Amino acid sequence: MQLTSVPVDRARFTYVPMPIGGHFNNRAISEAAETDSGRFNVWGNSFPAGHLPKPSSRIEVAGVPFDFPAPTAAGDNIRCAGQVITLPPGRYDWLHLLTAAERRSEDTIALHFTHGDVDFEALRVSDFWAAPARFGEQLAYVTGDMHYPHHVQSGLSALMWCQRVPVTRGQPLTGIRLPRNIAIHVFALTLQSAVVQAPGPEPREARS
Amino acid sequence: MTATYQASAAPSPGAVKVAGPVEHWCRDLVSCLQSTFATVLAHAGHDPLEVLGAHWEFRYKPGDVRTEEFYYPCAVAGDLAASLAPHYPVSSSWHQPAGAGTEDPVAAMDEIIAVLDEDHLVIAAVDNYYLPFRPAFGDVHAAHLIVVFGVDLELGLIYVSDAMPPAFRGSIPVADFVRAWSSGNPADVQDVFFSDARIDRRFMTVKIEEPFPVLDRAMLRTVLASNLAAFRAGSGLDWTGLDGLGRFLAALLDACASGDGRLLAETYPFGWGMQAQASLHAELLRRFGTEPGQPATCLREAARLVEATANAWTGLRMTAAHGLADPAACARDLTRHAAALRHRYDLALASLDEAVELM
Repeated sequence: MQLTSVPVDRARFTYVPMPIGGHFNNRAISEAAETDSGRFNVWGNSFPAGHLPKPSSRIEVAGVPFDFPAPTAAGDNIRCAGQVITLPPGRYDWLHLLTAAERRSEDTIALHFTHGDVDFEALRVSDFWAAPARFGEQLAYVTGDMHYPHHVQSGLSALMWCQRVPVTRGQPLTGIRLPRNIAIHVFALTLQSAVVQAPGPEPREARS
Repeated sequence: MTATYQASAAPSPGAVKVAGPVEHWCRDLVSCLQSTFATVLAHAGHDPLEVLGAHWEFRYKPGDVRTEEFYYPCAVAGDLAASLAPHYPVSSSWHQPAGAGTEDPVAAMDEIIAVLDEDHLVIAAVDNYYLPFRPAFGDVHAAHLIVVFGVDLELGLIYVSDAMPPAFRGSIPVADFVRAWSSGNPADVQDVFFSDARIDRRFMTVKIEEPFPVLDRAMLRTVLASNLAAFRAGSGLDWTGLDGLGRFLAALLDACASGDGRLLAETYPFGWGMQAQASLHAELLRRFGTEPGQPATCLREAARLVEATANAWTGLRMTAAHGLADPAACARDLTRHAAALRHRYDLALASLDEAVELM
């Protein structure tokens, strides 16, 4: 069987990095001088800030742009607890997440569409602790050290992953509910549109 | 990455060192329990994944859970190897030199040296607080296992191997080891899951007998059928199989809803053994599913569903661990994770039924 590859115009896709700082509820990144401020996992380990991009910087992982989190008083990531993130309504093909997990995790993310339809899709995240990409995710960042509450541990890596979730329904997506799974953390979220759309309003923080 | 804490000097004439390579073997969901046995099995020329991944069970022993990283609910009392790998001729025994904790610690190592002298590896219980290569060094008390493969009393060195990140293989001062091996491992608020369990110079030897079976298609089918039968059988004093899983989850949720954190605290160490075994079983099935002559599609799908069961333990274990301070507050999430875990077991077992029928 002879197959033909059909080239597509990648410019037809757009990415929308979403501001999610209003949902932050956990601090997973710490400076070497204050490792005790991080609480990514139950042991109080955290990612070393010096091994990661600058806060608020626009980064790109596997061709996907993300806004690296700017810490707030509440933290620098979302520890998943069923938070609802309202999205600018639109047709999207993928959700891209900058994520990490306290042990290998699989759970469900709810996609909410116009007219009340909801699809449940899997969010799969490999362990942050010197582990392989068990779900085939793209490794976003690997640190050379691990922060412990009372010291910096060299030679032990913390991993941050770039994972994606499909949006298969051809309807405008209006929001997502994150898993109720304390092991999964989300640092950044970017939407990938199905097709180029007319410019809409800037995405704004929204909660429900 | 394997660190070397201290460059190994040339051993003195009186040194005792086990012959052959001592290899690390680790997976993301296993603990020191599986990784140390794996090193011993590999040293004996056997495939750790086949031996440790063949058996898959649920077993909870009420009142038995210990705050040790290497806790496992043993079907054979005191025999971790036979409990982890009941389909293979392996067994293990705990040893504790007489007068542990009081006599001369170097003299107490005589029994370890005697085992090494017979060219057998030793698995020693230690407190991470005293081990220079562990992240918990000087900080956190935690019960752990390492492999000992040599002792050089003249140089004051002991040769140890630890496959758990950050992996280490090399020599450390005997004095450090003895402190770790002799520890009372006191309660430590930084690690409530693996502290408060005395180490007291325990060590383990592993017996591997012949003939050692080859895990071929026929044996795999027998093993899977045996595992499935055990999952469907009723349980007794040990809460086993699906019945035992249901009893454990019900008890956990009842305790949690009433604000009782004891079962919540047990879920992290106890669940590790269940999670690790499921993950190894999944990896083994996946391997068979890629080999010719197997019902590949069914085995690979069963492997994925068993893996999903292993992954579902994360939600339960972590929700329980983080919920210790306020058990009632995590009751709803824990209920959801318990239901998801049970569902994963059902799907995995149904898929294994199909695979066995086709084998």
